[in-house]
Amino acid sequence: MRKLLPRRRLLIEGPGAWLAAGGVALSLLMVLALLALIAGRGLAHFWPPDIEAVTLVSGERFAGQPVREQGLPGQASGSERLYRTGNRDLDGDQWRWVEVNAIDTRTTPEDLVIIERRRWGPFIGRLLRLEGPEAQWTASDGAALWRELEERMARVSQLRHERDALHNHRLEPLAEHVDDSAMSPSEEDELREIKARILALQDAMQRDHVVLESLSGQRLELSLEALIEVKRPNAMSLLAKLASWGEGVWRFLSEGPRAANTAGGVWPAIFGTVMMVLLMSVLVTPFGVLAAVYLNEVAPQGRLTRLVRIGVRNLAGVPSIVYGVFGLGVFVYGIGGSLDSLFFADELPSPTFGTGGLLWASLTLALLTLPVVIVATEEGLARIPDSQREGALALGATRSEALRRVVLPMAVPAMLTGVILAIARAAGEVAPLMLVGVAKLASQVPVDDEFPFIHLERKFMHLGYHIFDAGFHGGDVQAAMPLVYATALLLVLVIVVLNLTAILLRHTIRARHVVQAHR
Amino acid sequence: MPTRFSTVIILLGLLMWPMTGAMAHTWGDPVVGNLDSIGSDTMAGLMLRWGERLEQRYPAVRLQLQANGSATAPPALAEGTTRLGPMSRRMTASEREMFEASHGYPPTEIPVAMDALAVFVNRHNPLGKLTMTQLDAIFSDTLRCGAETSIERWDDLDRPELAGPIDRHSRNSVSGSYGVFRRDALCGGNFRVDVNEHPGSSSVVAAVAATIGGIGYSGIGYVTSAVRPLALQEGDGPAVMPSERTTLNGEYPLSRTLYLYVNLPPGESLPPVERAFIDLVLSPAGQDSVRESGFIPLPESVIAAVRQALGLNVPWGHVSPR
Amino acid sequence: MTERSLSPSPWRRRFRYVRDRLFTLAVTACGIGVILAVLAIGVFLVVEVVPLFTGSASTANSDAIDIESLWLPQQYPGYDEPQYRWQANAATDADTPMFSLTPLAWGTLKAAVYALLFAVPLALGAAIHSACFMSRRLRFRIKPVIELMEALPGVVIGFIAGLVLAPYVERHLVGVFALVLVLPLGILAAGIIQARLPWCLSKRVPLGWAGLWLIPWLAGLVALTLGISPYLEVLWFDGDMRTWMDQQLGLDYATRNAMVVGLAMGFAVIPTIYSLAEDALAGVPASLSEGAQALGASQWQTLWKVLLPAASPGIFSAVMIGAGRAVGETMIVLMATGNTALMTLSPLDGMRSMAANIAIELPEAAPGGVHYQLLLLCALLLFVFTFCVNTLAELVRSRLTQRYQRLGGTT
Repeated sequence: MRKLLPRRRLLIEGPGAWLAAGGVALSLLMVLALLALIAGRGLAHFWPPDIEAVTLVSGERFAGQPVREQGLPGQASGSERLYRTGNRDLDGDQWRWVEVNAIDTRTTPEDLVIIERRRWGPFIGRLLRLEGPEAQWTASDGAALWRELEERMARVSQLRHERDALHNHRLEPLAEHVDDSAMSPSEEDELREIKARILALQDAMQRDHVVLESLSGQRLELSLEALIEVKRPNAMSLLAKLASWGEGVWRFLSEGPRAANTAGGVWPAIFGTVMMVLLMSVLVTPFGVLAAVYLNEVAPQGRLTRLVRIGVRNLAGVPSIVYGVFGLGVFVYGIGGSLDSLFFADELPSPTFGTGGLLWASLTLALLTLPVVIVATEEGLARIPDSQREGALALGATRSEALRRVVLPMAVPAMLTGVILAIARAAGEVAPLMLVGVAKLASQVPVDDEFPFIHLERKFMHLGYHIFDAGFHGGDVQAAMPLVYATALLLVLVIVVLNLTAILLRHTIRARHVVQAHR
Repeated sequence: MPTRFSTVIILLGLLMWPMTGAMAHTWGDPVVGNLDSIGSDTMAGLMLRWGERLEQRYPAVRLQLQANGSATAPPALAEGTTRLGPMSRRMTASEREMFEASHGYPPTEIPVAMDALAVFVNRHNPLGKLTMTQLDAIFSDTLRCGAETSIERWDDLDRPELAGPIDRHSRNSVSGSYGVFRRDALCGGNFRVDVNEHPGSSSVVAAVAATIGGIGYSGIGYVTSAVRPLALQEGDGPAVMPSERTTLNGEYPLSRTLYLYVNLPPGESLPPVERAFIDLVLSPAGQDSVRESGFIPLPESVIAAVRQALGLNVPWGHVSPR
Repeated sequence: MTERSLSPSPWRRRFRYVRDRLFTLAVTACGIGVILAVLAIGVFLVVEVVPLFTGSASTANSDAIDIESLWLPQQYPGYDEPQYRWQANAATDADTPMFSLTPLAWGTLKAAVYALLFAVPLALGAAIHSACFMSRRLRFRIKPVIELMEALPGVVIGFIAGLVLAPYVERHLVGVFALVLVLPLGILAAGIIQARLPWCLSKRVPLGWAGLWLIPWLAGLVALTLGISPYLEVLWFDGDMRTWMDQQLGLDYATRNAMVVGLAMGFAVIPTIYSLAEDALAGVPASLSEGAQALGASQWQTLWKVLLPAASPGIFSAVMIGAGRAVGETMIVLMATGNTALMTLSPLDGMRSMAANIAIELPEAAPGGVHYQLLLLCALLLFVFTFCVNTLAELVRSRLTQRYQRLGGTT
């Protein structure tokens, strides 16, 4: 009796039950912590931090954005702080570790600027003068200087746009043509004219200069063409910072990487990932569905079919790197090599399909995700009550008609689930891609207005590989880290959204079939 | 290594011609096409910066760069999966053979920049210099450079301020830095088994920056203020810090040249895109990118000689495309 | 058109018949083709690897490699004792490369074992809790969340593990070790507190919802432990636990070690094991547990004495499939370990796994060479291993389903 009605036991359900509950809580805690870390660091990167003017006890002065602080090794107290000081061309490094005890004063003067440049990373310091051919503005002009700077930078980007348009719309078609045949005199004239205009534009872009000074007193003169963005975070209101944050996010999504993948955006990687995944799903859906239909509807349900089914199912558990090896050996070296020697022999030794590329990567991943689609579709097919098939057959339909008109339409949601799960798996897979065609930088997306519009032989960038590359291969991990976080956040978001779609779909199918089964 | 480099200089010096180092290509030349490259990770940042410049100049050029390590370049060149292979070391004889076996002619070797392989420790480590023998005794277990015993811990250096275990960081075997370090610092011996092998140079720097007992090496372009490069001492000579001066005059023992290998059939000229690229690399703008990436530009005389040898000084239009 | 033909002409019937045959034939051909293509992976690997042992490799050193030299310690010049070494490329052409697969296999298994050590308790605990104790409403919501975890890309986990977790753990060793003790005790403490609460409060924090309300409690404990750990370190370990371990215990701590990999890869395999084990537990026919409880067993006793033994094959297969995933995971090991081909058991040392080794070295290996074929052999081994493990798990699982059906469940 005592056992049945415990009066004062320490724990009502015993320690095991509580530890088990802890398992759930801990797993969830870890997922939440991981997501929070990625989201927090990824999104915070676009917020413009204040620039501190730091004076050390030794009297030395420098300006920088505080990045993080950590304890000194082997001591319980005392810590050091990392500043991003920019000015790599002047100081040799853009980071600086400072012991907190060595800092005398920290202020945030409003006139400090951070300038994103095309080369040498950011500049942090003061803007002294803006010089044009006709006039110059100094810091004492206040708002007029900033207005003028803005206008002139807009002019430069206008000119750049003009130059690129000239390049893309006139020069490129001409060059393609010249590549195929000899130049006619009129074409030569045209070429000369375009070239002269491009050179003129290039000169016009170099017209205006800014004169900058770092806090340590070094001066620097830069043409406006070399600047990307000038910001004064210390003088920005909260609203202006928010706007700047939004702009940062947008630029991250819409621009290509810069400065050896340590700055700029990930647009080519987004595009490459989406393109590769779409191509993969186009390849995997028909084959996966066909194989599932064969296994479930056509093949005799004997021992062999069961074995094959288990085999296919198990292929989902084969490491992805093995598929990568297969892709490299068979697709790239084998099929690609022979394609090249058969059809693109005049291009050799430049490879066309004999190197990793979009097509081979998509094929490899299609093979990798085939089991996922087969299993999901088979599950969907198995769920369809036999009464439906029998009904169709009883009404005089042939097997193919019953399949196409009755069974397959009912299995569409299951196929969709399978494809979405396949996409989610493929979007996050990196290891096989490293062997079959992902590139560190593929500056142009593999789709353009040039025949045949989708360039299957080109290499592409990938969000997952970009994480690996920027985090481990990049020039400066410290500078790339925030971008890696932001990229990881993007990748996780894409995958979470895809998975949620699949889960929702699965729920609706189950609900529907339950209703049907009960009718 | 320095001796080898000087032979290159002498060889090329014979071909030298009075000229400017300026680019033969300018803005507005009709350069269109793909530029593929597979190879060195050390040179990845460099290749990316060159690529960015090339793209700015010729927006119709498409770049496709892969950079996992120098050793990936020779198979890719031999298999024909790329025509351009940046390498942070010279090709070995067997790699050359592999190339010749599949193409019938040797690859064209173009020096593009100089580098010093910096050995560095954590910024809180007071160590200032190491002899080459000590370096070998830290990283290898074959001790081919003449050390009596291997250095297992910092305490073994007999410096009172140093103690604790050593955390060794290296590149993986794909890397050219790995090959050069093994040849020049380990005297061709083997790395210890417990040396961490990282996929990229910046990951070596990050690892050493995070560990108080860490030591590692990478191209000098990757060194940040989170780690401290060491001076190296060869024999009884002076301890030499890696710098532009000590690299160019060959005093620093681990200096090396960075190369670009090109698949160029004899008698043919380079295709326009590759030509424009190499032209850019060997121009003042290209060598400025070398400096921006933290590496060391080639001496002017070498550039001039290489340009001459490749026939790069003819402006566009005077050479028929392909 | 076809629907209208109530009395089809013989031609039409013939046409439909032929079309049906053709369709079936096409589906059969495609189906078999796809399945063959998928199975071709194994065939390809075998075909490429065979020349390695028969000696017809088209390379300079075309000697056949014997299996012993791959697995047993070899005597290399410059060493006193025979060694297990994997050093695929020689520094100069005069040296011979060293190919021993033993350290790679060792590293692969070591990483998997440490991942399972971390993942199995957590995943099984979570599965038991959600199958037996959790409120139904919560269970339906939590299962998708844990399944989402499965979809987190390895490259993200690996990046966090290598660049964030590894340095963090190194700096907060005391805190991390303390967590191993604090967390279970904290959970039990939560249970005790809950039992002592007055009814009106404790019904608000029932065991069925513990998976949720324990989270803030545990997060608080983690923060507290890590917060006071520096002071503990000064108090007990002279300010630096690494140095203390090194001096007192002679333990060397590598930053990128099996512990970190175990954590990261364990995290990655928890959802796999969880969802399979939960399915197995939830699939046990209700009649069994109801019978046990009718005989007076508590919920925990029912679980321990009835549910677990009944579902044990399913749980076993869940762990096997988790192991298969851990063995083949590439990016996490590549990014979170130092890729050192060591053969130690210590959780504080690194390792090099086969999958990571392939990812690193395959691009540099010349196709057809010995190195290339050895890497393909690694891939084949991975393939065979995971395939066998999964098949075993699958067979066990299908047996289990049959047993449940026999026991009269409504599976």
